[in-house]
Amino acid sequence: MSEFIDLRMGFFTDTTLCIGCKACEVACKEWNQLPSDGYEFTGDSYDNTKELSGDTWRHVAFVEQFDQKSDTGRWLMESDVCKHCTNAGCLDVCPTGAIIRTEFGTVLIQDDICNGCGYCVVACPFGVIGERQEEHTMGKCTLCYDRLKAGDTPACAKACPTESIQFGVVDELRERAEKRLSAVQNRFEGAQLYLNDPNDGVGGGGSIFLLLDKPEVYGLPPNPLVPTKDLPERWRTAGIAAALLLGAVVLCASARE
Amino acid sequence: MSESSGYYGRHLVKPPVWTDFIPLYFFAGGMAGTAATLALAERTARNDRSARTMILGAAAGSAVSAFCLIRDLRKPERFLNMLRVFKPTSPMSVGVYIFSAFAGSVFIAAGSELTGVARPAGRFSETIAGLIGPVMSVYTAVLIGDTVMPAWHLPRKTMPGLFAATSASCAGAWGMLFGSTRSNGSARRLAILGGTTMIAMLQALHHELGPVQDEAYTKGEAGAFARASRVLNVSGVVCATLAKKSDTFGRIAGALLLAGGLAERFAIYRAGCASAKDPKYTIEAQSST
Repeated sequence: MSEFIDLRMGFFTDTTLCIGCKACEVACKEWNQLPSDGYEFTGDSYDNTKELSGDTWRHVAFVEQFDQKSDTGRWLMESDVCKHCTNAGCLDVCPTGAIIRTEFGTVLIQDDICNGCGYCVVACPFGVIGERQEEHTMGKCTLCYDRLKAGDTPACAKACPTESIQFGVVDELRERAEKRLSAVQNRFEGAQLYLNDPNDGVGGGGSIFLLLDKPEVYGLPPNPLVPTKDLPERWRTAGIAAALLLGAVVLCASARE
Repeated sequence: MSESSGYYGRHLVKPPVWTDFIPLYFFAGGMAGTAATLALAERTARNDRSARTMILGAAAGSAVSAFCLIRDLRKPERFLNMLRVFKPTSPMSVGVYIFSAFAGSVFIAAGSELTGVARPAGRFSETIAGLIGPVMSVYTAVLIGDTVMPAWHLPRKTMPGLFAATSASCAGAWGMLFGSTRSNGSARRLAILGGTTMIAMLQALHHELGPVQDEAYTKGEAGAFARASRVLNVSGVVCATLAKKSDTFGRIAGALLLAGGLAERFAIYRAGCASAKDPKYTIEAQSST
């Protein structure tokens, strides 16, 4: 993170408090004027949104864990969002410079520069980014950059009725997440923090989560890794291959049969 | 809920929004790169006839590449935005500059070759293109490796070699298809060496991936392309070894190896998509590390 960032802002999503109301999804669509996803009925619990995409920047996941025989179980609900990674794959690979790190430490796609090459889509370890159906540029959560500029809270956090989505300074949110985990650990088996560790594969997230089961149960990758991590090694291997290719051509051109 | 089904079987990472212009670009750009290098080597060996065939092949491949690259953008009119920055962290940014320098040099060299105008400039450009050629042929392996598609990200050792071998095979094949046995001995040798190495590298790639990840390359559409590619490449190499004195065999070998190279590019592309769509690949890749 560079010296241009004063305070890194982000989200702490506490899934123990989520009631699955989807107010965050609606508030996000309303504020950012995003088109609807259509009216497809998936049959996957209450989740008809399916996933984050270019036009859907909040997605509430619903997991039903019920034991048919004993008639007991639990609901898991989690509002997913862009992770605003410390080491962001999308930002690294963007060839136009459309994706930037803002003064709030967030990752932002500049709509007027993106040329829709789609490299960020395959470089995101969380499958967050997608194509915007009307603009044909790539889209994702901006952490409500325009609202932050005006000193306001992002629309989803503002709309969340249970404070499952909390907005604030990332360092403080990390501490808050640790405290919350130790408070609920005894009540919820499998409770764990996600992306709160600055030493993980993406250098930690600007979005931190308190989950009640393994990440993959919510559709989150278990050990996300920024793809650029071993890029120098890849260039070295490619350099060797290119040198061998040059040697092979010279060999074939100078050989006599 | 079972370990590998994740969240309603949905993908954890998104498959590309790219179109088939991308594997076509890998094919045409790779062939063009090595063709330019062979053109330079032939020119140095005073085999002007073969050098002509190869620099024109490099120009054809570059033209197809430029078309594919721009057409695949969802905002083609903003193509030039790629040139407003240079980002070493983005293989696509690095690649745009490699491609621009390469294709520019190739077009000058081929234009001079065809018209006879500005010969010194043409020869100089041909040298530049020939030296950039191998990098042009291989950088796309870094480009797809620098993604989270397991089938592209995991073969970190073998993918560049596979791209180099496919490019060599296809460049040699171009020389056999459009040249004649009087002058295309180098192209034929490169086709045989490249084609054989490609078949071996593909086996090495399967080995590097291991049994679970390898399914992305053996099942579905990717598997069909991979099998077609193997048949075409093996028969192409066999034909090429028989083509020392026969132009007919040479042209058949050239066509087979070009088709084999194209099928192999599509196999790799489809495998990457398949490894993103099924969450088991992502989960397996991340649990073993």
